[in-house]
Amino acid sequence: MLFGRTKRKPIVIPSKPVKEWKYTTCNYCSTGCAIEIGVGYDGKIVTSRGHAGADVNRGKLCIKGILEHELFQSDGRGDQPLIRQRYQDDFEPTEWDHAMDHSAEKIKDIQQKYGRDAFAVVSTGQLLTEEFYTLGKLVRGCIGTNNYDGNTTLCMASAVSGYKRSFGSDGPPGCYGDFEHTECMMAFGSNLPEQHPVIYWRLKEAREKRHFPLIVVDPRVTMLAQFADIHLPITPGTDCVLINSMLQVIISEGLQDQAYIDAHTNGFEELKATVADYDPITAQHVCGIDEDMIRHVARLYARAPAAMSIWTMGINQSTHGSDGVANINNLNLVTGNIGKPGGTSLSITGQCNAMGTREWSSCSGLPGYRKLEKPQHREEIANFWGIDPEFFPKQRGLTQTDIFPAIEAGEVKGLWLVATNPLTSMPNQPRIRKMFEKLEFLIVQDVYKDVETTDYAHVYFPAAVWAEKEGCHTNTERRVNLVRNVIAPYGNSKTDFWIFKEMSKRFDNGRVIAFPETPEATFEEMKQLSVGEGRTLDISGMSYRKIEQARGIQWPYREGTEGLKGEPRLYADGRFQTEDGRANLIAVKFRDNNEKPDEDYPFWCNSGRVVEHFHTRTRTGKIGNCNKFSPTPYMEINPDAAEELGIAHQSYVRLVSRRGDAVVLAQLTHRVPRNMVFIPFHFHDCVNRLTLGLLDPYSRQPAFKQCAVRIEQVDQAEAARLNVERRAF
Amino acid sequence: MNDDVKQFQAIQQLESGDKPPCESVEHWEIRTEERPYAFLSDEEIAEENRYGQKIDLIELTEQQAPANRSLFINENPAVGANPNRNKQHAFFFTADNCIGCHACESACAEKNETPAHLSFRSVGYVEGGSYPDYQRMNISMACNHCDDPVCLKGCPTRAYTKHAEYGAVLQDPDTCFGCGYCTWVCPYNAPQLDPIMGQVSKCNMCVDRLEVGLKPACVSACVGNALDFGVVENIPQNREEAKVSIPGFPDPEITHPNIRFQQMKELPEEMKRTDSAPVKYHKDKHGDYKPRVDPKQGKAKHWNLTRLSSRENPLVLFTLLSQAAIGAFAFTFVGAQLNIPGLAEFAQTSLYVPLAALSLLMVGLGLFMSTTHLGKPLRFYRGFNNLRHSPVCREGLGIAGFMGFLSLHILLSLPANSLFAGYWQAVTGSAVSSLVDPVKLQTPAAVCGFLALLCAAAGLYYMMRCYRIPARPFWNHWQVATAFFGSSCSLGALVAMAVVIPTLAIAGAPVNQALTLLGALLCVGVAIELIGLYHHARDMSAAEHEGAASHYVQCTTFGRSYWLRNTLLGLCLLVSLALLTVEPNIWIMAAWGTVGLALVFCSLVGRALFYVLVIPTTMPGAFFWRNKGFEEHARDIGLAELPQVGVVPNLH
Repeated sequence: MLFGRTKRKPIVIPSKPVKEWKYTTCNYCSTGCAIEIGVGYDGKIVTSRGHAGADVNRGKLCIKGILEHELFQSDGRGDQPLIRQRYQDDFEPTEWDHAMDHSAEKIKDIQQKYGRDAFAVVSTGQLLTEEFYTLGKLVRGCIGTNNYDGNTTLCMASAVSGYKRSFGSDGPPGCYGDFEHTECMMAFGSNLPEQHPVIYWRLKEAREKRHFPLIVVDPRVTMLAQFADIHLPITPGTDCVLINSMLQVIISEGLQDQAYIDAHTNGFEELKATVADYDPITAQHVCGIDEDMIRHVARLYARAPAAMSIWTMGINQSTHGSDGVANINNLNLVTGNIGKPGGTSLSITGQCNAMGTREWSSCSGLPGYRKLEKPQHREEIANFWGIDPEFFPKQRGLTQTDIFPAIEAGEVKGLWLVATNPLTSMPNQPRIRKMFEKLEFLIVQDVYKDVETTDYAHVYFPAAVWAEKEGCHTNTERRVNLVRNVIAPYGNSKTDFWIFKEMSKRFDNGRVIAFPETPEATFEEMKQLSVGEGRTLDISGMSYRKIEQARGIQWPYREGTEGLKGEPRLYADGRFQTEDGRANLIAVKFRDNNEKPDEDYPFWCNSGRVVEHFHTRTRTGKIGNCNKFSPTPYMEINPDAAEELGIAHQSYVRLVSRRGDAVVLAQLTHRVPRNMVFIPFHFHDCVNRLTLGLLDPYSRQPAFKQCAVRIEQVDQAEAARLNVERRAF
Repeated sequence: MNDDVKQFQAIQQLESGDKPPCESVEHWEIRTEERPYAFLSDEEIAEENRYGQKIDLIELTEQQAPANRSLFINENPAVGANPNRNKQHAFFFTADNCIGCHACESACAEKNETPAHLSFRSVGYVEGGSYPDYQRMNISMACNHCDDPVCLKGCPTRAYTKHAEYGAVLQDPDTCFGCGYCTWVCPYNAPQLDPIMGQVSKCNMCVDRLEVGLKPACVSACVGNALDFGVVENIPQNREEAKVSIPGFPDPEITHPNIRFQQMKELPEEMKRTDSAPVKYHKDKHGDYKPRVDPKQGKAKHWNLTRLSSRENPLVLFTLLSQAAIGAFAFTFVGAQLNIPGLAEFAQTSLYVPLAALSLLMVGLGLFMSTTHLGKPLRFYRGFNNLRHSPVCREGLGIAGFMGFLSLHILLSLPANSLFAGYWQAVTGSAVSSLVDPVKLQTPAAVCGFLALLCAAAGLYYMMRCYRIPARPFWNHWQVATAFFGSSCSLGALVAMAVVIPTLAIAGAPVNQALTLLGALLCVGVAIELIGLYHHARDMSAAEHEGAASHYVQCTTFGRSYWLRNTLLGLCLLVSLALLTVEPNIWIMAAWGTVGLALVFCSLVGRALFYVLVIPTTMPGAFFWRNKGFEEHARDIGLAELPQVGVVPNLH
C-alpha cells in the first residue's frame, strides 16, 4: 500500500526560524531588488527572501540574490588590514591606524613629489550612496587629486555621456512600469534574461498581459533574441548605422512626430541631413541587416503609439557607445517617445549603485550632478563643505581608462582602488599588468583579500560587504532604496564609510570639512545638496524611514511631496536639463575603427555576462550553488567553424589576439555566427587577455565587445593543468 | 487548536530557551504582502487524471488514508488549512518560457540547504537549428511525484512514502542506506545520491509551503513564468495545453509522472544535447521527439580499459562471484544427487565439502563487496524491508537464503567428510560418527541443498529483475537474463572443473565423463551468453532509445575492448567444443586452464562494460552542470577538489 502506510516516515525539512526580517536592497546589479534578510534567534543570518511588497521585484530574486546571504561567511574574506613594502614581499597583518597613517603619508609623499594628481583614486558602482558621497568629499575635498574615477567607466559611462549630450543631464528618464504601457520595444545589446532576470520578469509579466512587438538587436541568439518577435543579428559595433538608417526611413516617410520635434528639440535639420547618407540600401552592407527589414522595423517603431528602447553593454561597450546612446535618444525624440508612459530611452544599468556613484561620488564632477566646469557649482560645494573653491580643479580629470595609461606614462605614481578589480576587468590585461608593476604605492580596498589586484597592493583595507553596512542604492529607474545594517562587519573589516571618514582625519581639509558620524546623517546632508530650482536629482523629500516604508522611492522626490511615490519619469513636461530646456538631436556619423576579423585573426571576440556570476567572480565564484553552473572559462563557437578547425565540443582551445592569449573550453553552439566566439567576461586570466578596448571618444569607455582573435589547437593535458592552476576559486 | 499542537508548542518552548515563540505553528511563514503568483489557486478539480487514476487521494486509497491527518513535518502536528491537500498535485512547465536562469534551482538549494554537488531541481537544455535560426529549449526538472513511484517500489529500505497529502513522494534520508537503486530506476534523476553523506535525498514538494497554501519555492521563484504548480490536470491561467511530453523528456508511460507541459513553439526537427551523452532527439512523423544516437565521439574505436573501472566495481564482483558460486554448487550437488558418473564419485571425495564451502565463500565475498557499495554499509540489514515491491530485497533474500541453506548443507555434510572426520578424531579423540550417524544426515543435507538451489534460483531471477529498468534501456533487455544465467553456467562449470577434475585425477578416478559434462555446461553457458549478446547488440543498434547511445559508446569509446571480449568469448566456445572431442591429457588440461582464464577475463570486462555503458533516460544536462563528461574531466584534472565546482572528487 503506497498511501495508507500506518507508520509513515518522518518528514524533515530544514527549518530556519527567523526572529526578525531586516530590509535590504540587493548588492549585485542595478535592478534594485528588495531583499529581506532573516536573522535567527542566535543572531545569525539563517535565510533571506525577496520582498513581496517591493514594487521593483515583487518578491522575485535571481540566483545571485537568492544566495546572496551566503556572502558574509564566504571564503577569502579579508579580516585584517595588510601591509608590505614591495608588492613582491609577503603581506604582514597590521592595525587599522597604522595602515591608514602609512597610506595617508604615502599619498601625501607622492603628491608632494610628483604633483597633486599623481595619486589617483578609482572606485566602483558597488558601494552605498552615502559612502560614495563621503569618498567624494575625501578625494575632491581633502586629498585633492583630479584623477578620480569609478569603474562605471567600464560599464555605464557611455549611457551617462549620451544622456548628458542629448538631455543635458544624466538620469534614465523611464521606469520598469513603461513595459506595461509600451506598444513596441526595442532592445539593443541587452540580454535581460541573463543580465537582469528580474527586469526580464517585469517585461514578461507585461507581455503576458498584453502582447506587444519586441525587437532584439544582438549578434548572438540570446534567450531574449529567441523570444523576440524580430531578431536583428547585427554586425558588431554597427548599431549607429542601423539607427541612422531607421531614422532615415522614418524621416523620409514622414513618420516622425514633428510637433514634438519642433517644440522640444534642437538640431533636427542637421540630423536629417546626416541620416540621409544612411539609406537602408547603403546601410544594409555595413550593419548586416537587410534593407527591407530596416524599413519594416523603422515603420513598426515609429507607428507605435508608444515605443521604448532599452540597452545595455552591447551599446555602451563600443567605440560608438556614447553616439549609440545619443542615437537611441534621437530615435525616441524624433518619434516623440520621451517622458511618456511606454515611451522612453531606458539604459539598463550594470552595478547595484552605478547610479549612486554617478549622482553623488564626485567622480566626474561634484555631488548631485554638479559640474567642475561650472564656477557656480564649485562655489556651492566649496561653501557647503567649508573649503576654498580654488581647491577644486576647473575641469574633470582623467577617467579610469586614462588613469591607467597615465600610470604607464609615469604621470600617476600611486593608486587607491575601492571595490574594483581592474586586473581582471580592464581590457588588454597584459598591458594593465605592466602598469601595476610601475606603481609606487597601491591601496586595494575590497571585501576579499584574494581579489586578483591585491597581487600588486602595498596596503590592503578589508571592507565590509552589503548588509554589514547601512545606506542607499539607486537603481536603474532612479529608485533610491535602502540597505539596513543586519550584521557586524566580518572580522576586523570596516565599512567603506568608516574607512573614508577615518582617512579624512589624516588630511588638512579633513579637519575643516565635517564628516557626519553615520550614513543616515550623511544622507540628510546630501538632501540639502539636492534641493534647487529645476533640479531633477532631488531627494529632499526622502528619509530612511520613508524609503523603507515605500520600499524605494524614485527621484525626483521633493520635500513636501504627498505620498511615498516619486516621479516615475523624467522630462514628461518636455523640458530638458539643457540651457534652453530643449533636447539635442545629435547627428552621429559612423567611423569604422574597430579591429575586425581578418585573415590572421578571423573571429570576432564577443564577451558578456552569465546569470550565475557577477563581474569578476570575486563574490559569486565563492558560492558553490552559483559557481557550479560555470566554474571555468569557456567560449561559445559555431559548430561549423569548429568542424573546420577540428575543434571538439568540450575540448580546450587557445585563443590568440594581438594582445595576448587565453585558454578556454569550447562549447559548440549555433547561438553564435560562424565568425564569432563569445566568452563570459567574469574569469580572471581569460577574455581580457585578448581584448583591445578601443575607447569611446566621449565616454572613454572601452569597446570590450569588438576585437579579433584566432583559435589554435592546444595540448589538452597542458591546457587542463593551466585551467586548474588559474582557478583558485 | 488540538492537543497535539499545544503539546508541540510546549515542547518547543521547553527545548528552545530563546527560541521562536510558538504562537503560530504554521509550517511556513507567509511573506508580508505575498503576491498572487505564490499562492495555489485551484478552483475546479477533475475526478480522474488522464490515466484514469483518481485525483482525490482519499478516494484513491479507498478511504484508508484519513483526511485531515497531520504530515508531522519536523514533528509539527499542525494540519495545513489547504483545502486541496488530499488531491494529487503536479508541476506545470511552460517549456516555451524557460530562460534557464537557475532561479528555481537556487531557490530550492537555499530552502533545502543542499550543497553545491546536489540539486533537487536541475535545469538542462536541448538546442537545434543553425545560426541565426537557432533555438534552445531549457528544461527545469525535479521530482514528478509519480502515480507509479518506481523509486518507492525499488527502494529496499522503504525510505519512500507516497503521501495521501498532495500525492507527494517523500524520502527519508535517515532510513536510506545509500544503495542508490532509486537513482537507477527514476527516469528523471530526481533522487540525489550524495557520495559524501552516503545517502539519498530528494525534492519534498515543499509540503511545508503547500500546507499554508503556497506553491513550492522553485515555482514561486521562477522569473520566466515557466514553472507552475497545482492540482494535476489543471491548466494554469494564460496557458492552453497540458502535454505529457517535450523533447528530452522520458516516456511518461514508465511512471505516469505528475508533470504537465506547454510547449507550443515549433522547434527544429533535431534537438541536440550539450552534455556528453551521445543522444539527440529527432522529430517523428507524429511530431514527437524520439532519442537517437548523436555520434559525438566519431567512429574511432578505443580501448579505454581504465575507464572500465567505476563506482559499480563491487557490483561487477558481486554478480560474477555469486553467479559462479551458484553454478558451481548447483552442478556438483545436482550431479551427485542424480548419480552422474564422475560427479557422484566426486561427492564421495573429501573435496566435495570444500567446494561447497568455496561457493559459500564466493557468495559471501560478493555480498560483502555489494555491501561496501552502500553509502552506509552498517545499515545493510535494512535491505530486506521492502520485499513487497523491491527486486533488490528479493535478490538479497534469495542470496541470503542460498547462503543459509548452503551453510546447513555443508554442516550436515561434514560428518560424512573424511577430512573432517579425521580432524575431529585428532582433536576430540573420538569418532564423529559416534556423535551423529552421517548416513542419517544425508537426507536433511540433500533437502538443504535443494532449498539452497531454490533460493539461488530466486536470487538469480531477482538479480536479473533488478536490472530490467525501463529508465535504463541498455539494461532493459532479456540479455540480462542470458548474461546472468550464462555466467552462472559457464563460470560455475569452470569453478567446478577446477576442483573436480584434479580431485578425481589425484584420487585415480576416471575424469573423462565429469570433464565432458562440465565442459559441455561451460559451452552451454558461453553459448547462451553469446546468443544474448548478439541479440542485444542487434536490438540496441536498431533502437530508438538511450540503449542505442550506450551501444554506440560500446562500439567506439570501448570499441576495442568490446571487440576483444566478443572475439575471446567466441574463441572460448570454439576451443572448448574442440577440447570436448579429444581425449584429455596434460596438454588438454592446460588448454582448459587457458580457456578458463580467458573466460574470467571476458566475464570481468563484459560485466564492467554492462555497468559503465548504461545511459539513463534522464533529462539533458547543461554544459557544466549535470554533464557527465565535465564531471569526469573535473575529477581527472583535480578541479573537483574545489567544492564550489559542484563535482564530488573521487572518494577513496
